[in-house]
Parts: sequence; C-alpha cells; structure tokens
Amino acid sequence: MKELLKELCMADGVSGDESAVRELVISRIKDVCEYSVDNLGSVICFKKGKKTPEKKLMICAHMDEVGFIITYIRADGTLSFGNVGGIDPSVVIGRQVKVGRSRISGVVGSTAVHNLSKEQREKTPTTDSLYIDIGATDKAEAEKYVSIGDCAYFESEYTELGGSRIKSKALDDRAGCAMMIELMHCELDYDTYFVFNVQEEIGLRGAIASSYSVAPDYAIVLETTTAADIDGASGAKRVCEVGKGPVVSFMDRHTMYDKELYHLAFDIAKEKEIPCQTKTMIAGGNDAGAVHISGRGVHTMAVSLPCRYLHSPSCVIDYADLENSYKLVKTLIGRIHEI
Amino acid sequence: MIIKKTVTALAEAVGASGSEKCAAELALSMLREYCPDAEIINGNVIGHFGTHKEGLPLLVLDAHIDQIGFIVTYITEEGFVKVGNIGGIDRRLLPAQTVVIHGKRDIKGVICSVPPHLTNGVSEVLEIDDVAIDTGMTKSELEKLVSAGDSITFDVTCRELIGSRITGGALDDRCGVASVLYALEILKEKPTAYNVTVIFSTQEEVGERGAKIGAFEVNPDIAIAVDVSFAYAIGEDESKCGYLGKGPMIGISPSLSREISDGLFVAAKNADIPYQTEVMNGLTSTNADRYSVNRCGAKTCTVSIPLRNMHTPVEVIDLADVESTAKLLAEFIRES
Repeated sequence: MKELLKELCMADGVSGDESAVRELVISRIKDVCEYSVDNLGSVICFKKGKKTPEKKLMICAHMDEVGFIITYIRADGTLSFGNVGGIDPSVVIGRQVKVGRSRISGVVGSTAVHNLSKEQREKTPTTDSLYIDIGATDKAEAEKYVSIGDCAYFESEYTELGGSRIKSKALDDRAGCAMMIELMHCELDYDTYFVFNVQEEIGLRGAIASSYSVAPDYAIVLETTTAADIDGASGAKRVCEVGKGPVVSFMDRHTMYDKELYHLAFDIAKEKEIPCQTKTMIAGGNDAGAVHISGRGVHTMAVSLPCRYLHSPSCVIDYADLENSYKLVKTLIGRIHEI
Repeated sequence: MIIKKTVTALAEAVGASGSEKCAAELALSMLREYCPDAEIINGNVIGHFGTHKEGLPLLVLDAHIDQIGFIVTYITEEGFVKVGNIGGIDRRLLPAQTVVIHGKRDIKGVICSVPPHLTNGVSEVLEIDDVAIDTGMTKSELEKLVSAGDSITFDVTCRELIGSRITGGALDDRCGVASVLYALEILKEKPTAYNVTVIFSTQEEVGERGAKIGAFEVNPDIAIAVDVSFAYAIGEDESKCGYLGKGPMIGISPSLSREISDGLFVAAKNADIPYQTEVMNGLTSTNADRYSVNRCGAKTCTVSIPLRNMHTPVEVIDLADVESTAKLLAEFIRES
C-alpha cells in the first residue's frame, strides 16, 4: 500500500480541482468494480461481494486536499491567493508552492526577519498579507504562466521518517483513498459501495451529493484526524496519538457517531488484538457530518488515522496505523451486516 | 562554469555556522580550479589566485560559506529534538517546516506545529525554546545517531522560477561564493591590478568570526565582502532595498572605503554593468566590518547581490545579478 499511498499523495488535488487524483483513482479501480463519476466529480464505485446484503454499506474517503486559489495578479507580477480549506498562515510563509496547470514553482515569501519590529517578529502574518512570488517581473509576464482561478499546491516531498512514519502533503485524506483502493482489490463477503468524494475541505460538499446518490444504511468514513501528541502537550490535549492505532470517534464538531458501530469497532479491535483509540477532545469534523444526516439518516462511523501537523505541507502518520485501520475496516465490512 | 549549476550545488550543500565542512569542501574543490594552492585553514577556505607579483596591493575577495540553522541541545523522553538557533531565524515560519539533522547520518524531521485547539485558534509564534523536531524516532534510536551540538538545516531543494530567478535556502551567501568563482573564471590568464586572494569564510551569521581570523591570516590591503542584501518585495521598505535583476549593490558607508566604492562605480560604468547603490550609515553587518579594522586596517567595500526573503528557506535571487556581480569584480580587479 506504501507505493500506492505515495502516488496518491504526490498527485495534486485542491478542493474543486481534484481531476488528477480522480484519474489516478479510476486507473487503479476500473478493473475491479463498476463505477461512475457524479456531477460534482466524486467517484462512486460498486464492488460486488460474495453475497448481496439486506442493508447497503458505503465506505468513503475524500480525494481533495487543502491548498490555494489564485485570486489576483498584481502589477508587480506577484499573485494574491485565498486558502482553499483551513490553513494556518504559519505553515504557508516560507514555503515552496506549485502554481497552475503547468505547476510552475513559486514561493510564499515574507519580510526579512532583520527588517521586522520586535512586535512583528512575535506575530504570524495574516493570509491576506501573503502573496506568491513566481519570479515574474510584472503582471504581463506572470499572465503568461498563471490565470486567476488557477490553484496552487504545497510543494512537499514524500519522505519516510524513522522506522515507520511517513511525512507528506495530502495524507489527509489520500491515506483513506489508499485503504479503499486496497480493499477494492480484495474479495469481499458483501456488496459494498466505495465513494471517493470531492470538496470535503470546503464544507463536506461532495459527500452531501454522493451519499444522497448511494443512499446507504451504514457508512464508514475513512479519514485522518489531528494527533497532538507533540512536545509539551499532555493529557486530553494530545487528542490522539500517532502509532496507537486507528481512531474511532464518538463525537466531533459535526457528528454524534452511531453508538452501536462505535462499540462494534472496539469489540473487533479487542478480539483481533488491533490497537484502537478514541479522541480525547471534541474537535474537528469530516464527511460523516454530511453522510449521517443524508436522506432519512445513516448509521455512520469514522475510522481515522492519527495525523500530526494536519493541513500543513508536512503531515505525519505512522504506517502501522494505516495497516491496523485497514484490518479493522476489513473486518467491519463483514460484521456490520451481522447487526 | 555554468552559474545556475554552481549556485544550486553550493546552495544545496550543508554548512550551518560552525559546521561548514561539507559546503567548504565543495567550495574548495571549485576554487582549486583557479587557485591550485587553496586549502582550508581553521575552517576558512583560502586560495591565492594566479601568481602574486611583488609590489601589487593584496586584495581579498570574501564570501561567507556558512548558513543559518539550528543546533541540537537536547533529546526529550518522547524522542523530540530540542534546538538552539544559529543566526537570525524567523520563528514565524517554523511550524511544520522540514529540516535535516546532521548527525552520524542525515536525519529528516518536521518542526512540531501546534494545532489550533491547543492555541485557542490564535497561532502564537514559537519561542526557540519551544521548537521541537519530530523525526519519527524514539529517544534511544536517536541517541545512537544524534548528539548535542549536531547542526540542523532547513531541508530545501533549489527550484527555478520564471526567467533567471531561482529560489533556495542558503543562497545567502552561496550565490556570493559563486559570483567570486565566476569572477576568477573571467580573470583567468588575464593580468590583474592586484594580487588576489579568496576567502570563503565561516561563521558570518553568528558575528563574522571566520572573517576575523581569515583577515588576520591573509592581511589584505583591500577587501571586498561579497554578500547578499535586501531586494525589494511586498512588505519591505523600498527606500532600504535594492531590486532583483538590477545588478550588484555597491556599498557606501562611513565604515567603508570611499576610494573602493568609487572604483567600483567607475568599473561598473566603464564596462556597462548594471549596478545599484546601497547606502549604510555605520557598520554593514557583513564581513566588511572585520576586514576594515584588521591589523593596521584595510580599504574595504561591500558588493551585495539583491535577495528576497533573507534567512528563510525560500530565498529568491536573480542569476543575472550573480553574473553582473562577477563581471563587476573582474572589471575592478583586471589591469586597465
């Protein structure tokens, strides 16, 4: 799954501009399922299993990643941009980015530290004050390479850290996409829908439409979630910890998760000796927020990989968590139909 | 010599102040083409250009070989690497930045970024004491590879921007090193008005210490510190900056030699080389400050390559300025 994950992470797909990821996903699943692309761009797949269950199960992950959209080209050839999804400016300044369809290199610079006042040195600049420098000397030169409305992406190397950690952009949520593709290449006990959603990062938009189309009874959302097990954080504020297994949530800012599914996940984890944890703070949200209130309501759970530095160019996960999440979800597919 | 290739190779070499070995050895190998006797003396790369003639004044071309970075101070129980800063670091851009720890082998890491729920949504700028590096390793794994005192640099690959501009880390002052090398390339086999010695000096970023001892070692009559200076960008004060692509910035300052500044202006005009004037009102915060008061004193000037985003992993220069700087130095030095 590592090679697949790397390929998925290196594809660029800011919300609303997921085509490169979509094409990659389709190339990997077209021979193992029936699929269609909906009007928003989500890929809806139906994978035949050994049995056709009474209840419909949908597994989903999102293809989009956080990034930027070019809003204006200034007279001096620099580019104004807006964030697509929630990004803290502290992880944007001082970074390389790729801009537009030709992926030209640019940087988000900032005033030299030598020229900042004492107060300015202690304050992160606002996104509004940032700009992308592609080396253009004026607007006309920049316009040869970039049009407003183009997206920009974090430039980030996919690297293994230590024994089993992975650092990359877009692990949120290409890790979920990788697990789904891997599952779709297995022989499954039951018919299952797999959905690769668009536009999660700007408000779960893709999942609203796709879960209406699929109209499932049960849903498993595969995601990444904030791990804050960093230096100086203790107790509940760590939220969840990298390397301690998949995270199954009871509640976040968008969803009260299905209690039966929540307990089922921990029962399976215990039985199969898979490490499993929950979040110790009510924070964040994911496509479950759209899925669980779709139609007449859907029994929904989320299985997330603990991920440090989410929404930055340097997300970090533990590969063991990915493997354990995969095992857990694979077992869940069968057991949900026994409920 | 292809300037882009030289600048890129130098800028991607590693050498935080005090740990310049890799960058210095690369620069040494490049310098030996022009100065076969070049060697590393107490950290500084020093070479004599051509055959020095009796009676000519000794001129030093200096560029610093070190770069900003961090140094390992401590490994926590959880395996996070704590650091001190080497040189002026912009702490605002540290969260989630990728770095390389130069231990027994190079180890990549990410600077911990505090998620919003721990900061009540207001992202605070990290104090250096709060910076921690996540390497994906445990304390015991790290202890086999990393020791207190190991240096750390930002993990940066140079990239081409539009036209002749490039971005990278450590362009401050590896582009200066490249321009000195290119000046020697131009001067090769040509008679010069000075005996020329090159010093690629250490520890500029922590207070021009390499230049202090390099100047003493070489004892020049004239010294030109080839460094970088601020290129105008949004957020900068235009009155205190040069511009990218408009040529080297020739320094004028009470601490510099007017004679040398004027000589550089004449050289630029004679050879039709674009240039800019950088006026300072005292010390220059470059190695020039050390050369000017070395031993009995030296006539000193600064020639600076305009650079945006100084001391960040996304420094930007225009390679045309590196070339113009080399041409200016060569024009000043050649026998007229």
